[in-house]
Amino acid sequence: MSQQDFTEHRAMLSDSVTNFARGVELARVRKLRETKMECDRAVWKQMADLGWLGVLVPEQYGGMGLQLGDMAIVAQGLARALVPEPVTAVAVLAARVLTDSKNDSLKKKLLEGLVSGDILPAVAWQEQAGTLDVSKIEMQATPFEGGFRVNGSKRFVVGASNADGYIVSANSAQGMQLLWVPRDAAGATLEFDTLADGRQSGTLKLADVTVSKDNVINAGKAATESLARAIDHTAVIASAELTGIMIRSLEITLEYLKTRVQFGKPIGSFQALQHRAVDLYIQQELSSAVLADVLGVLDGVNANEPDAKTRSAAASRAKARCTDAALLITRQSIQMHGAIGFTEDCDVGLYVKRAMTLAAWLGNGNAHRRRYAKTEILQGAAA
Amino acid sequence: MSATAQVDFNAMSDDAFRAEAREFFEKAYPENLRFMPRRLSWAESKDWWVKLSKKGWLAPNWPVEHGGMGLDPAKLIIYWEETERAGIGRMPDQGVTMVGPTLIRFGNDAQRAKYLPKILSGDNVWCQGYSEPNAGSDLASLRTEAVLEGDHYVINGSKIWTSMAHNATNIYVLVRTDKSAKQQRGISFLLLDMKTPGITLRTIRNIAGHEEFCQVFFDNVRTHKDNLVGKLNEGWTIAKGLLTFERLNIGSPRRPLQAFEQLDPLARARGLFNDAGFVDRYTALKMDLNDLGSLYQRYVDKVRRGEALGPDISMLKVFAMDTYQKLAELLLEAGAEYGAFADEIKLGDEKIDLMTPFYTSRPGTIYGGSNEIQRNILSKYVLQLPS
Repeated sequence: MSQQDFTEHRAMLSDSVTNFARGVELARVRKLRETKMECDRAVWKQMADLGWLGVLVPEQYGGMGLQLGDMAIVAQGLARALVPEPVTAVAVLAARVLTDSKNDSLKKKLLEGLVSGDILPAVAWQEQAGTLDVSKIEMQATPFEGGFRVNGSKRFVVGASNADGYIVSANSAQGMQLLWVPRDAAGATLEFDTLADGRQSGTLKLADVTVSKDNVINAGKAATESLARAIDHTAVIASAELTGIMIRSLEITLEYLKTRVQFGKPIGSFQALQHRAVDLYIQQELSSAVLADVLGVLDGVNANEPDAKTRSAAASRAKARCTDAALLITRQSIQMHGAIGFTEDCDVGLYVKRAMTLAAWLGNGNAHRRRYAKTEILQGAAA
Repeated sequence: MSATAQVDFNAMSDDAFRAEAREFFEKAYPENLRFMPRRLSWAESKDWWVKLSKKGWLAPNWPVEHGGMGLDPAKLIIYWEETERAGIGRMPDQGVTMVGPTLIRFGNDAQRAKYLPKILSGDNVWCQGYSEPNAGSDLASLRTEAVLEGDHYVINGSKIWTSMAHNATNIYVLVRTDKSAKQQRGISFLLLDMKTPGITLRTIRNIAGHEEFCQVFFDNVRTHKDNLVGKLNEGWTIAKGLLTFERLNIGSPRRPLQAFEQLDPLARARGLFNDAGFVDRYTALKMDLNDLGSLYQRYVDKVRRGEALGPDISMLKVFAMDTYQKLAELLLEAGAEYGAFADEIKLGDEKIDLMTPFYTSRPGTIYGGSNEIQRNILSKYVLQLPS
């Protein structure tokens, strides 16, 4: 693709997301806490038809075969409009893991279903809070003639409430197994905790669930590496969502500063608020600059695919900055609105809550700084 | 000018130009002046100035016909990056960075013929007279006055925070030439010889104990009206129009990174990498510096594409200088008792200068428009908040 075509196609993608977002009703988002309707399959199908679920999926499976830089545009635009559907969890995390599969028939079925919106796969990899290490799991896959019998539980599963099946990671004598477990598998149970933004965090319990050999997605070192890479990529696209959140929240707040009158003047004329708004804006722009840089590294703009260490450091840079900036900006958005900002009716609260949910997912700022320190600072400094 | 000034550097590939610049800076620059934590005096600068001049490399930003290298923005950035990489010190370079470009854009032929060659040769060293005792952040309220009497302007008043004025042979000043006009409208841009009768100066010692800046007094100083640059009362526009590259340069992450490198040997010597509290702060700062690099790169790419830099560039200065100060503060804290030592400390085989980054970073949030002024600019022109 020429540079001009490249720029034009990204502009088109951005336009289509903006158009879609314009039609999103915040009323549904506001009621999520009661309705638990975090994924409307009609909306999901619409997004699938627009091609967004398949942005990263190779063309032979019906996808667009594009880059993370493209997916970031979609994710940022949808987050701006607070779309609750688990697009990033499915179109990045699940899509990446499935794309790496060597089980051709399963891969074809699941990826084509993912792209068309007919199958919604959720990745259930995590068991402990506060770690990004994919090997820190206890779920066990015990071999039997036809496949594996799986026991254990998974936590913090995003998109679980509407998923048609789960991609689970489990230990076995042959290393990690990534397995496909349909929603209605015998022995699989689901529980939910409601998150700050009204979406659901799933707990998946597997008790002697049998998984046939046909449903093995990946195994051994390839499985571990595929999952680790998928998580890094997802953390970066979650960072893109966080930029969408902060940009919209600051827009709403700046508009308020220009129109709200106190002491006979718009409050945006007061220097204390002006400087605070500027500091928020600097954090927003810093986040965008870091995200752009990191997307460049991961998409191999300067070279090929980066090694795992470079990739993880880059992902941590994006998630740490975007998380902290989004939390700061959305919380200060409440403050600059005053009491009205703390009400259910004011939109900024919705942005605060989505920021919190995205911040806590796949490593908050502190978690990513610690991971960065471990590989980028302490290994070299010990010498 | 030497033969090399005729080379069309812009026709070279970026890599080839970078390689040539790197080789030259590595070989030709005096070792003892590399990575100096302060500005160089004129005495220290002179040999390098002349060496650059003879090669035709002193004024990378000037057009070739005026004795510069005529570099396009992309090549200019490479030139800077390579000077930073080689640790080349900041000389009293106002002639090259400010006076030359001003005369080339706003001056007349006679002024260019009179001053440009002397800047290149090092015969004239310039300093900048903008701030006044009562016109700092509020520069447009300046009151140093120039009144036309016959063919001469008569100047009275005083300029302050004039860096390296005691090293300078010439000064360019913003003066009030119309008291009835609105603040910015009545200001003009004048060139003066420091030896003109009526000019006196005192050096001002800063908190580091160095004499880098001065106050300059003008007592019935007479200068010929030929020394007016551009049109009468349009000095403000001239002064404002030249800050673009300056602001980009000031936001480069190189200088704080240099200071950051001092933190490693100190932290190792003191076993601080076993201290979780320190590691947290160190990591946060390291990531801030990397993120500053990303922000800087965004503007560099803009310049490379030939786009104009807008008022949003102010955010680069704010973040760069805030980060630089935080780093200098962490360095002192990491030093524990040594963090109060005025001079270089010895830890094992390492010699570490803890205090200089503190003193160098401190004025960074004040000069060139304080960080508060930068925030005012961002608020007004970028966020468009009401006044």
